[in-house]
Amino acid sequence: MRKWLNRNAPGYVFLMPWLLGFFLLALGPILTSLYMSFTRYDMVSSPRWVGLANYDYMFTRDRRFWKALDVTMWYVVLSVPTRLIMALGVAMLLDKGLRTISIYRAIFYLPSLLGSSIAIAILWRQLFEGDGVINALLARIGIEGPNWIANPDTSLYTLVVLAMWQFGSPMLIFLAGLRSIPRDLYEAAEIDGASRYRQFFRITLPLLAPVIFFNLVLQTIEAFKTFSSAFIISNGTGAPADSLLFFTVYLFNEAFKFFRMGYASALAWVLLLIIAFFTAITFFTSKYWVHYENERD
Amino acid sequence: MTTMTRRAAMARLAATAAAATAFGSMASAQSRRIRHFWWGNPERDRRTFEVIDLFQAKHPDVAVSGETIGWNDYWTKMATQTAGGNMADLVQMDYRYLFEYARRGAIRPLDEFIGGGLDLSDFDKGPLEGGMVDGKLYALNIGSNSQVMTYNTRIFDETGVEFDPINWTYDDMIAAITTVNDKTGGAVKGTDDMSLNITMLEAWIQQNGRGFYDPEGNVTATPEDVATYWQFWADLRDAGLVVDAHKTVALGNSKMNEQGLVTGETAMSFNWSNQLVGVQSLMTDPIGAAMIPHKPDGAPGQFIKPSMFMSLSRDAGDTEAAIAYMNDWVNGPEATAILGLERGIPCSPKVRAALAPNLSPVESLSVSYFNAIQDKVGPLPPPAPKGAGEVSDAFMRTSESVVLGNIAPEDAAVQFIEDSQSIVERAL
Repeated sequence: MRKWLNRNAPGYVFLMPWLLGFFLLALGPILTSLYMSFTRYDMVSSPRWVGLANYDYMFTRDRRFWKALDVTMWYVVLSVPTRLIMALGVAMLLDKGLRTISIYRAIFYLPSLLGSSIAIAILWRQLFEGDGVINALLARIGIEGPNWIANPDTSLYTLVVLAMWQFGSPMLIFLAGLRSIPRDLYEAAEIDGASRYRQFFRITLPLLAPVIFFNLVLQTIEAFKTFSSAFIISNGTGAPADSLLFFTVYLFNEAFKFFRMGYASALAWVLLLIIAFFTAITFFTSKYWVHYENERD
Repeated sequence: MTTMTRRAAMARLAATAAAATAFGSMASAQSRRIRHFWWGNPERDRRTFEVIDLFQAKHPDVAVSGETIGWNDYWTKMATQTAGGNMADLVQMDYRYLFEYARRGAIRPLDEFIGGGLDLSDFDKGPLEGGMVDGKLYALNIGSNSQVMTYNTRIFDETGVEFDPINWTYDDMIAAITTVNDKTGGAVKGTDDMSLNITMLEAWIQQNGRGFYDPEGNVTATPEDVATYWQFWADLRDAGLVVDAHKTVALGNSKMNEQGLVTGETAMSFNWSNQLVGVQSLMTDPIGAAMIPHKPDGAPGQFIKPSMFMSLSRDAGDTEAAIAYMNDWVNGPEATAILGLERGIPCSPKVRAALAPNLSPVESLSVSYFNAIQDKVGPLPPPAPKGAGEVSDAFMRTSESVVLGNIAPEDAAVQFIEDSQSIVERAL
């Protein structure tokens, strides 16, 4: 016990702010929402127990629930890999050429700080509108661009591009990972005549796998939870024609526009289970592709 | 509504009012504070805060705090405050939400105060009745309005459009917008595309002789009603007489300052009549007001509705102060002069008469429009059922697919009516 305490106490001390926040602030509402998910609650009259009716409706009759899942899954599939590739690319540039210049790191990180803000979402809307900046640039080279935001076929891609641009936090983590790869490995490879390309696939990627894994898990969770940019760009409704009906946007509308707190709570729990499922899959597959340096085969 | 029910309702009002005066003012021992919560815009907020200052100057013992927010967030905040038991004493109410709030006991009947603290003796009875639920007055009308097609008089005059803004038909409208289109060489479109506008759809259905909902709240609109509406606008769009599809979808539920009429891209848009003042303030060309066009038989499609109400909330502490404030709001000569017509046409003839000499041109336009349509409008439709807000969202997204040509109007109409029925059923 004493030994355990000595070893782990510092960890728990550092975890304290999070633990306190979780138990004092978050746990109550979380359990309440679990209870609510079995009720009908419109915020004006008191909640009424309905058993599994919310979940039943969701899976058997709610077409918009499936639409929201569809939109969100596409977004996750498109945005997570592109953002990670972008992040790794920039991290490698910074690691090689510009490593001493910390101002560049700050500049590249900036979009991530701003990215979730309302202002950027509004800016994005204006960039991609019919008479927006993007189309003005395209017009210069003689292309007449569509109204990217108002067109259900293209609207999701504008958000994928926005996600790509917010590569800052995985980039910083990649950068730290790249720094921890021993230089002598590259030197040895160079002496043996390995090309840059080969070095990347034989040294960088395998040694970076734990970091890639970490980023993949975090970014997938993040992508499932995307809200404010989709909310702003779609005018809060998932428009046009539900092409931006992200799961969280649908949830918000059910809760705060149509006052179905019970149903929205059920949606939130289903989202939690979906995220848990995909995280579990990532963890499960990781043993086939992630190797840690201190591992002994 | 018939005169009989009106008279009966007013008799009841008077009776309860008489009873109320008996135990008139029960001053509470609490510190005298009242909160007033409304949805607004900068102009409305300015005027309302001015009235609050005025009231405070006259009642130094009462502290009034005003809270304001835009329409979209208003009902979210209101529901949250209702759930939390800290509603403002006085809340602005809308016809769409009135029955829900009244039947759940979140707002209180005003009958006991009438004749006591609240003087409604000279009020128009029709508009006043719009705030009654189950025979009791739960919401005080603070302005009436109606639908209006707002048009640019300069463009209409210069292109030589001649029409009767009150009695015109859809064919007259097509003629007018064709003229605008031809004379400007297509630079200005005759009108915005109203495919996404559920209020105009409701008028279209009313002109077919039925409401979108019946008094029990069932969906009575038919797929044909909706399909013909979308087809009407699709034909205009195909003929290039209205703005193009992507622009229409992008505008969506846009704000007033993005309407084609205001940006100058079109010569006509849809508004509610209390918005005329706001629209004119965004434009230099003088605007005109026309009714929604009629079908050949001239059946009424639009109606006069209370644009906003003021209600006393369940959580109100100092009701005496709250009622005094409410009374000042609708009767006080200075307060009503500050508020003007911004929330709609006041329902006290005395107030209207006092305002008349100082009206700006656009305010005079609202008043004369309002007077001209009195005999042309239908009765106020029964309150929409719960779920109506969601139906308008469903209409919006289905219309978007129709406008973009992803689905034929007939198929979309069948789907939309089915969706509406299941939304309303689910909301019960």
